[in-house]
Amino acid sequence: MGRTNDTPGTGAPPSRPAERHERDLKSVNTKLRDLIASLEGQRQQYQRRRAEGTSPEPAPAAPEAEDLEKRRLQSELALAREALDQRSKEEERLRERLQEIEREHRRICDDYVVVEERNTDLASLFVALSRLHGTLERNEVMAAIQEIVTNIVGSEEMAVYELAAGSKELEPAWTFGVDGAHLPRIRVGEGVIGRVAAAGEPFVAWERTCAEEPALTACIPLKVGERVTGALAIYHLLGHKAVLGNLDRQIFDLLGAHAGAALYFTALHQRHGFGAG
Amino acid sequence: MNRKKILLVDDSSTVLLMERMILSKSPYDLVTARDGWEGVEKAKAERPDLILMDVVMPRMDGFEACRRLRADDETRQIPVIMVTTRGELQSVESGYESGCSDYVTKPINGLELLSKVRNYLGE
Repeated sequence: MGRTNDTPGTGAPPSRPAERHERDLKSVNTKLRDLIASLEGQRQQYQRRRAEGTSPEPAPAAPEAEDLEKRRLQSELALAREALDQRSKEEERLRERLQEIEREHRRICDDYVVVEERNTDLASLFVALSRLHGTLERNEVMAAIQEIVTNIVGSEEMAVYELAAGSKELEPAWTFGVDGAHLPRIRVGEGVIGRVAAAGEPFVAWERTCAEEPALTACIPLKVGERVTGALAIYHLLGHKAVLGNLDRQIFDLLGAHAGAALYFTALHQRHGFGAG
Repeated sequence: MNRKKILLVDDSSTVLLMERMILSKSPYDLVTARDGWEGVEKAKAERPDLILMDVVMPRMDGFEACRRLRADDETRQIPVIMVTTRGELQSVESGYESGCSDYVTKPINGLELLSKVRNYLGE
């Protein structure tokens, strides 16, 4: 940042151009005011004398003095105009700088919003992963899946299906917000959920509802490596959650890759006798 | 400088962890409680500057906890932000009737939460 000093060598503090111009203008203004006051005084004096008849005709001013006064006034007027002009230019420059700073401020605000959103997304993914792998108890993993779907995706209706041992059928293993007793077993390859389990690819009703299963918002295959072990069906979203977003896609990917593994680990843990007690 | 204290009341570990992650960027002291009952007790003991309160919780829900906080001279002035999955108007009205200062909906939007927290902490 450049700084100017009005009175070099005097040790006076540096002042800004706007302040300097304001001071110049004030000085010119004071001089003009003095001049006007002086002229006004002369006029009144002249009128008074004329009324009294003491001086019917003013003595003509010497041409040199009149010319000198005229030039002095012209010079002061030019100075005042110059100061005014400089001040206008400075104002214009400051206005442009202000607009520039406002644009920069808006850009930084926009960037901040993007960064904060990304932070929240990363925090959500971290939380989801921590919750899934933070326990080897089956019920806690199921509760973690439910909490992730409720609090991060935004749905209070879901069902976790698992492949029944030795069969090609999916059976409801955990439900939340839907009546599990009325959910049927599903053959792999049949219906939306069955096809998700067969293909190992998620189904997401991004823009329109699924005609085959209108209540279904998303179905994610639960995998251990490449092997599908079940499916997570997510039904209606919360009323205030209008659409699924980019974070939801990432959460679905994470659930697909880690929820199945987390459930598998709980089974291994149980099978090897490390369960409760 | 005194660090502001925030009491987080929620029975969900996921939500508590999320709130911790979002608020950890600012220098707050965070205290947690797992239900409304514990929330009221912690509010009296810890005297937080702000409370984030879940609605549906075991033992005592967020609305009742908020009513009790408002009925107690020691905790009457503490702002309470309800954190709820129930964004519907009726739930919001119940929240305000119980004396809550504001509400945010789950899934939590980090910016919205931070903005409201800073607002109520006068930052």
